[in-house]
Amino acid sequence: MMTLSKSCLPSNNGCSPKSTAKHKILDENENEANLSDRGINSLEELPRIFYLNNITRLTLSHNKIRAIPPSISNMTNLESLNLFNNQIEELPSAIVSLPKLKILNVGMNRLYNLPRDFGEFPVLEVLDLTYNNLDAKCFPNNFYTLETLRALYLGDNDFEYLPSEIGQLKNLLILCLRDNDLLTLPREIGQLTRIRELHIQNNRLSALPPELGNLDLCSNRSVCRMEGNPWIPQIADQLQIGVSHVMDFIRQEAYKFLYSRTQGMSSTAVPSRNDERKSKKISRIRVK
Amino acid sequence: MSSPSTMFCSRCGSGFEENEKIVNSGGEVWHQSCFVCAQCFRPFSKDAIFYEFEGRKYCEHDFHVLYAPCCGKCGHFIIGRVIKALNNNWHPDCFNCQICQIPLADQGFIKNAGRALCHECNAREKAAAIGKYICHKCHAIIDEGAPLKYKSEPYHPYHFNCYSCGVELDSNAREVKGELYCLRCHDKMGIPICGSCHRPIEERIVTALGKNWHVEHFVCAKCEKPFLGHRHYEKKGLAYCETHYHQLFGNLCYVCNHVISGDVFTALNKAWCVDHFSCSFCDMKLTQKSKFYDVDLKPCCKRCFEKFPSELRKRLKKHYSEKATGNKSIL
Repeated sequence: MMTLSKSCLPSNNGCSPKSTAKHKILDENENEANLSDRGINSLEELPRIFYLNNITRLTLSHNKIRAIPPSISNMTNLESLNLFNNQIEELPSAIVSLPKLKILNVGMNRLYNLPRDFGEFPVLEVLDLTYNNLDAKCFPNNFYTLETLRALYLGDNDFEYLPSEIGQLKNLLILCLRDNDLLTLPREIGQLTRIRELHIQNNRLSALPPELGNLDLCSNRSVCRMEGNPWIPQIADQLQIGVSHVMDFIRQEAYKFLYSRTQGMSSTAVPSRNDERKSKKISRIRVK
Repeated sequence: MSSPSTMFCSRCGSGFEENEKIVNSGGEVWHQSCFVCAQCFRPFSKDAIFYEFEGRKYCEHDFHVLYAPCCGKCGHFIIGRVIKALNNNWHPDCFNCQICQIPLADQGFIKNAGRALCHECNAREKAAAIGKYICHKCHAIIDEGAPLKYKSEPYHPYHFNCYSCGVELDSNAREVKGELYCLRCHDKMGIPICGSCHRPIEERIVTALGKNWHVEHFVCAKCEKPFLGHRHYEKKGLAYCETHYHQLFGNLCYVCNHVISGDVFTALNKAWCVDHFSCSFCDMKLTQKSKFYDVDLKPCCKRCFEKFPSELRKRLKKHYSEKATGNKSIL
């Protein structure tokens, strides 16, 4: 069997001054390839990497990769793929067929859409799409059938709402929606009974569905971050004392009544989008 | 004997022809054609059985239909003794207690919710209705105090004495190998009591959490499956199976999602196997001493954090000011 360092030799050997450093693999464990921050512009520089089908972990973060070739699906033993901080605009459909992929990090890229069969990952557990250009419309319906998913990171994207199907992700322990444009949360969020980390800070939320009170978000094993929203005064007051007071408040019958009344009405003053902040995002660079 | 010329038919009043067959019954005579059922006008059956009621004669069938009572249980005609009860008629053999089926014809019965019951069943029903037991010995209601259960039947405790010291028993008495003992004598015998069902353990004993347990009663506090010798995990006086202990108390590794055996890194509301604790952004291993940033409650090494765009760093720094370090804890 070839060793990893040999097989990664570029076809045009020596054309880049960084090439030696680029192809030195840090991990002694030859099933794990760490190619973080090697100035890689394209995976074509590593033509044989996709034939290393014994690799279980591939780290390509902090490079300048713009596209993932469909041949990624040859890496049939891959369990963890880290593409954080690249310049990827689209993922190939083939990525969902990786049979053992459990952890996928595509955070801080330039994704503006997702493959249509994005819900077909057989065993995906942790998905990080932080800091891209995604909203609810980018997610195909079958995404919410990913029953194995336990952590979903969607911070720094463009969500204005969350589809009610989110309630189907029953095994979700972590849901991060920090720094989006969310105006409401669906009542179905109350079905995510295993959740113990919820990040909804810096959105445009004014109220919380009372069903959120069903979740265990105040125990010492749970974290709920919800600051930076234009909360109605009652919630804002409780939040000053603590998240547990907010949860107690939204469980009250009076709040349930108030919530059901306000949901029917189109809010007169919609808080403005966080456009100014978002225009500075590097994930926007592609958008002309 | 009178001659046919001086006799007249009891039904039609006419005389008889010479040599005509005459029916003679109870001192009266009939034309053969006149000796018929008063209801259906047909001759009586071969052996000429008929039933008489108010001077009229009926065949068996019509008599039953017109005058004989039907049994409320089997629906057949009753000839002979009739039990009249509950607005109905009964064969003596058909009138039974509706719970225990004992015949009630001679011992009397008690009406209970439209049913005829014997005295004992009635008492038991009444006791059950007010949530009380009937003593299996004296058949009276156990009115005060709890019953003593012996061979799975309830008794007044005062019918029994301790097998060992002879004291009159109360409901705390314990049964050991078919004999009853007062609680004091029982405790002195040193028989372990199951921490779950509070009954003596006569077979295999599990000792855990400072108590004794029936093997099948020592179970996971979450899924209630018996450990049956498998490893259990204790927390706050309760025992859990491996899966639920880790599910409830968070010692599944964030990376591999497996139960962490050996040392555990805990930080950011999560736990890691020592080998799996690494920066979420470059996958570099972190140690106990490594400094890392909290980015969405994921560990981020200093090098990665510095590669973040400055606008993001500014925003994240607003959320927290302190750098966290990992806490090492041993399971």
